Order: sequence, then structure tokens, then C-alpha cells
Amino acid sequence: MSQIEVKAPKGHVEVRNFALSYETIDGSVEAVTDTQIHVNPGEFVSIVGPSGCGKSTLLNAVAGFLKPTAGTVTVDGVAVNGPSAERGMVFQQYSLFPWKTVRENVEFGLKMRGMVRSQRERAARTLLGLAGLEAFEKHYPERLSGGMKQRVGIVRALATGPKVLLLDEPFGALDAQTRVIMQQILTNMWQRLKISVLFVTHDIDEAIFLSDRVYCMTARPGSIKAEIAIPLERPRQQSMMMSSEFLALRRGLMSLIREESIKAMGGEISELGMQGLNIELHGHSLADVL
Amino acid sequence: MPALVQQEAEPQTPVAVAEPTPAVTPVPAPERAAINIIAARWLRLNKEGIRATVIGLISLVAFLIVWHLLTKYRVVFFVRFTNVPSPLAVYDSFTKAIHDPKFLMHVLLSCRRILVGFSLAALVAVPLGLVMGRFKLVHEVIFPVSEVMRPIPAIAWVPMAIMLWPTNEQSIVFITFLGSFFPILVNTLHGMALVDPVLVRAARCLGAGETSIFREVYFPSSLPHIFTGLTVGMGVAWVSLIAAEMISGQYGIGYFTWEAYSLVQYADIALGMIAIGVLGLASSLLIRSVGRLAMPWGRT
Repeated sequence: MSQIEVKAPKGHVEVRNFALSYETIDGSVEAVTDTQIHVNPGEFVSIVGPSGCGKSTLLNAVAGFLKPTAGTVTVDGVAVNGPSAERGMVFQQYSLFPWKTVRENVEFGLKMRGMVRSQRERAARTLLGLAGLEAFEKHYPERLSGGMKQRVGIVRALATGPKVLLLDEPFGALDAQTRVIMQQILTNMWQRLKISVLFVTHDIDEAIFLSDRVYCMTARPGSIKAEIAIPLERPRQQSMMMSSEFLALRRGLMSLIREESIKAMGGEISELGMQGLNIELHGHSLADVL
Repeated sequence: MPALVQQEAEPQTPVAVAEPTPAVTPVPAPERAAINIIAARWLRLNKEGIRATVIGLISLVAFLIVWHLLTKYRVVFFVRFTNVPSPLAVYDSFTKAIHDPKFLMHVLLSCRRILVGFSLAALVAVPLGLVMGRFKLVHEVIFPVSEVMRPIPAIAWVPMAIMLWPTNEQSIVFITFLGSFFPILVNTLHGMALVDPVLVRAARCLGAGETSIFREVYFPSSLPHIFTGLTVGMGVAWVSLIAAEMISGQYGIGYFTWEAYSLVQYADIALGMIAIGVLGLASSLLIRSVGRLAMPWGRT
């Protein structure tokens, strides 16, 4: 705990003129092109976009798993060169080590740093306490629910006191109720630790509820279509999701994404074709109904 | 049959739950009631296991009875039971054998050969598999050779082994080694191939270096497959050992069985076979329990 609070609230992420392409047999495929994003220290930023738009690619480049074909990724002015504990990552598939107990999972990063056992045990207990998981410290991940697993995943990523926390659709596999609780927990931890967060999701409500700023990406090849500030006050309550302000933001983002989703799906679906399929649209577009 | 049992079992469950509840009020000693509840619960939870044990025992006894009858009436029906020893005769030779230091020596020698041959195979194949799984160049160099050698049954190595090694003992251990080597190697490689890349990435962004990833991710992740390899390897080790002992041995339980045939001691043939079976089973169980100790997370 102590290391985390001692650290200055840094974590300025800067992605400039970013492009990334893959080599395939048919030539190179652009996944992301001409993209600039930044995360200010202590800011919570989300990236939303249609599936396959390269938002995870972008996040993985910030994590250091992928090298950009063009452009730069820097954290506090230092170029990202491979993964490091200063950029903690949370994965959709939880990715806890099944052969380690909950506490050993949380201790992992501290162990890698060479911290002595008794010290890291204490640190892990404190963090697990924060997430309400002390009672499960000796359990193996297999025995935990999805929500608990992801809480451990977040705590594990935070244990080393990273400058930036990267989350790749972390709540995508959870049911709606658990997801809401997890969002609350994540917000609480973020406010307490004052750490920069880059959050990838396809859930618009989630992005608005959690973020200070939301980037909306275009369909492949992905680039930034829009940047939307979320002026909702903090701490945010569940009830805000019904406020007119929230709904207006939601509507705006929805229409931005819908355009891109339709592009990603290969164009508009013809009304006539829909009639043939006997699907009643009630005046909505297909994207709404789906 | 299973359908019948299931139908019976379903109404039983509520009875077992209800039983201890009325017992609590009239009986003055609450400990007894508690013990009853625990006993009832234990029976309920282990119902499947108890059932399997009971049926298993019945089936073993039935096997012995059939064997007994076939030999008693010297049945000849395609196969000839004329000279096959009866279970009682085998039991007789067993009681004699356990007091016979020569028989025990045969058993111990076989066990020692297994221990040496199998342990060497494990000590070479597991690290080799791990390194091959981790470093592409090592895999590219060794894999073709191992694929060519793998289909050769260990028994086919007997003449070559006799030429290669100065003593009989060494060639038998070598054949045992070869028998268990490939199953262990192949399963270790398989385990390494199945390591979840996301876990490797998770370890990387928690600050793990190459050595740590190997120790903390690749190795534990492969362990279940390594143990599968060890179990299979142990089985093949016994097959190879017995064959080698029958062909080129002077001692050992395989030699004992073959010798019994040459000396027309038919009961000893069956005794040797049963001893081999029991030893094989015991060594597999040993590996499985070591595996369970080594992988506490696999316990459900």
C-alpha cells in the first residue's frame, strides 16, 4: 500500500501519429491508422468503437505487446519499449494464474520486483482488504465467481503501483448486475489511488459512467472519430444513468458508433430485404433493434 | 441398471436429510445426534464411491469364481484350461513365494530397474520437453530425430541395447528408459504448447522476466500434462521391462514368469503375471498421488 501512495500521481500517456498494420498473405492490413490519443495524469479515459476497430490493438501497443508501424507511444515522456510493471493490465479473460492462490496472484508483481515474502504478503492482504477479498486469500481462482476473479485481476495489476492501468473489456464476460458493481469498485479504487486509466470497452453506458473522456473509434482501419468529454460530476451514482445529461451523451455516442458499426458490418441493410425476412422494425433502424 | 439405481437414489436423499432431524429432540446427548448427522451426510456424499467399491469387489470375486470353475472342470472350449493353474494353486505358490528370498529378489530387482530407468527418463525428458517447448531452435533440431525414434517399440531395441551396453543389467535399464522416455517427452511438449499466451502476457506486464515466466507460468501450466506423461511412461516402462527381462534377463519378475514356464511350474506363471499387474498398478497410483500433491490447485 505504502509504495502506491508514495508514488507521485504521474502517468501521462501520449500516443502520436500512431499506425499499426499486420502482414498477411494478401499484403499488409491496416488495423489502426493515424491515431492520436493522450491520457492526462490521474485521468480516466475510455476507448469505444465497433468490434474489430483496433481498440484492443491500440491498448496492446500502449501495454508494449505490439510495436507501432508508425508513430510513438510514450508514458511520461519515455518511449514504451515492451511490457512493464509500470503499465498494469487487466484482461477480459481474467488471466489469473490457476496454480496460485488469490493472495499469491496479487503478490506476483511484488515477487517479480524482489520484495521479501513477509512484506509482500502484508501488501497483498491490504489490497485484498480494499477489494473485500481477504476471506478468499487462500482460495484458488477456479473456485471464485467471475466478478471476484476480475476484482483479483484488478488488484493484482494495481499491486505494483503502476503509473497507468490498462483494461481490455474487463467486464465483458460478466453479467449485467455484477458489471455494475465492478464499475463502482473500479471507480472507488481509481479515485483512491489517483492513477491514470485507459479503458477499452464496447459498452457505451460503461464508458460514460466511468470516464472523464471517451474516444470513439472508426471502423477498420481504426482511427479516432471523436473525442467526447464527460462532464458528469463525481462521485458518480448509479442513478445518474437516468439523468438527461447522461442520456444526451449516450445518444450522441450511440449515433457515432452506429455509423461505424454499420460500416464494419459491410454497409446499410436494405429495408426491402428486411421485409422479405419478416422482421418488424417498428420504425427503428436495425442497429437499434439488435 | 444405472437407470434403476438412479430412481432408487432420488427418493433416498430426502429420507437421509429428514432422519437426523427428529433424532435431535428425544435423544438427550446432542453429540450422538451430531455424529449421526455427520455419518448420514458422509454416506450421502460418498454414495457414488461406496457403490463403485461394492460393485468392484463383487466383480473381482465373480472373476475369481469363474476362474476357479474353469480350471476345476478343465474346460476346453477353443481355449484350453487343462494346464491353467487354479486360483487356489496360485495362492499356494504365493504363500510359498513370499517366504522365498529368491522371489523377493526378483521383485526387488525389477523395481530397481524401473526406478532407475524411469527416473532417468523423467529427469531427461521433462527438462528436454520444457526447453524444446520454449526455444524454437532446440525444437527444430531435436523434434525430427525424436519423431523417427518414437515409433520404434522399446522391445525392438533389445538387440541394439545388448550391443550398446557392456552388461545385461545396463541394457535392461536402457530399454526401460526408452520405453518411458517418449511418452514423457511428448506430453511435456504438449503441455508447453497449450500454455495460455494471455497468462504469459499477464506475467510480462507484472514485470516478469524470461526465467520467471518459465518458472512461474510455463512450468506449472504444463505440470498436469507432465504428470499424464509420467503415468503413461510408467505403464510403458513396465511393458518394456518385462519384455526385456524375458528376452535377456537373468533376474526380475519377467524372467521369473518366463522361467516358470520353462520349468513347468504353471502356478508360478500366474503368480508372476499377477505380481507384474500389482506392481504396475501400485507405481501408477504412486505417480498419481505425487501429482495430486504437486498440483493442489487441481483439486475440486
